[in-house]
Amino acid sequence: MISLKEEFLDILSRYQGIAHKVNLIYFRNSSDREDNFQDIIYQLWKSFPTLRNRDSIGSWIYAVAINTSISRLRKKPGIEYMEDLPDSPDASDIVEKTARDENTKLLLQAIYRLNEIDKSIMLLYLDELSYDDIAGITGISKSNVGVRINRAKELLKQNLKYLNHGNS
Amino acid sequence: METHEIENTWKNIDPAINLKSPEELNQLLASKTRQTVNKFLGLLAIDIVVGLGLISFLVITAINRLGDNFFLANNALLCLATLSALAVSVTSWYKLNNDKFNLPVRDWLEQKIKLLSGWLLGRYSKGYFIIIPVLLVMIEVSIHVYFENKPFTEVMKNEESVIGLIVGFIVALAVSYYAVGKIRKYQLKNLEFLKELFEGLGENGKV
Repeated sequence: MISLKEEFLDILSRYQGIAHKVNLIYFRNSSDREDNFQDIIYQLWKSFPTLRNRDSIGSWIYAVAINTSISRLRKKPGIEYMEDLPDSPDASDIVEKTARDENTKLLLQAIYRLNEIDKSIMLLYLDELSYDDIAGITGISKSNVGVRINRAKELLKQNLKYLNHGNS
Repeated sequence: METHEIENTWKNIDPAINLKSPEELNQLLASKTRQTVNKFLGLLAIDIVVGLGLISFLVITAINRLGDNFFLANNALLCLATLSALAVSVTSWYKLNNDKFNLPVRDWLEQKIKLLSGWLLGRYSKGYFIIIPVLLVMIEVSIHVYFENKPFTEVMKNEESVIGLIVGFIVALAVSYYAVGKIRKYQLKNLEFLKELFEGLGENGKV
């Protein structure tokens, strides 16, 4: 029989991509991302015993990761307000890797310009979560999810347009 | 970029993620757990050392002044206040670090806002305006009376002593209010940040 911790680590290793992506949209600096990733793992572990529905593991990880990231931003106001993506000395760093593709770099920059709530709504939308799941993770009503997604999408497009203009 | 292009571009992110092995994840979890426990024990140690230090001082000086009732009453009240402060600081830390992160974002924000609002804007949030000066006077009097080596009432009748106490009190009060004000300002800013996010998740969706 596997222990609770082994089960947790097994789930985490399968779903950790979610935490990395939440990290990516909230923190541009690789050391902030590392620290926050560790915080997310810790908060997931703390709430793991209360996770009853094993069918909603993804939603649970999104919610914990977003709440943990917001909590870190709250403690360190002004942590992330660079216009451009930072240079990372680590070639294996996610930002460094994605920045090799101009479109991905641009998309990330446009996401960074969104407010914290729209960032998470956009992430959930781009990760193709259902309206039900998005409502469950964010706490907004299902009927409002579509409105919020469209609004965030519009803002993202405006940001992309602005950044494209700036680059041309 | 059109919507479908945005969606396709986002798919480039997944392959760029450096996934960690279960061993690495286990190490990260172990190290974070250690850090959190150490932080708690560190805080507890500081609390206990400062609290016990003050209590020891109060008890020892009280034993040396068993006949001085005013001095004894002052020290007894200070002991009680120190013990209460110890309990409050440990439970506050526990509350702050044990919120439920597995709630929907909106509910989590609401829970955090309620907790912070209670501390910063609740009925007793301005209590420090009274508690700080009262405690300062009591601590100052206790130390001063003890080192003057005279009975409580005699020290209080001495004009020089009273002037010294008043000056010391004003300086200490200014420093304390400044420090508490700074902390409150930082926490109020935090509260505003959370409220803005919470409103952003409202049904009317302020953006």
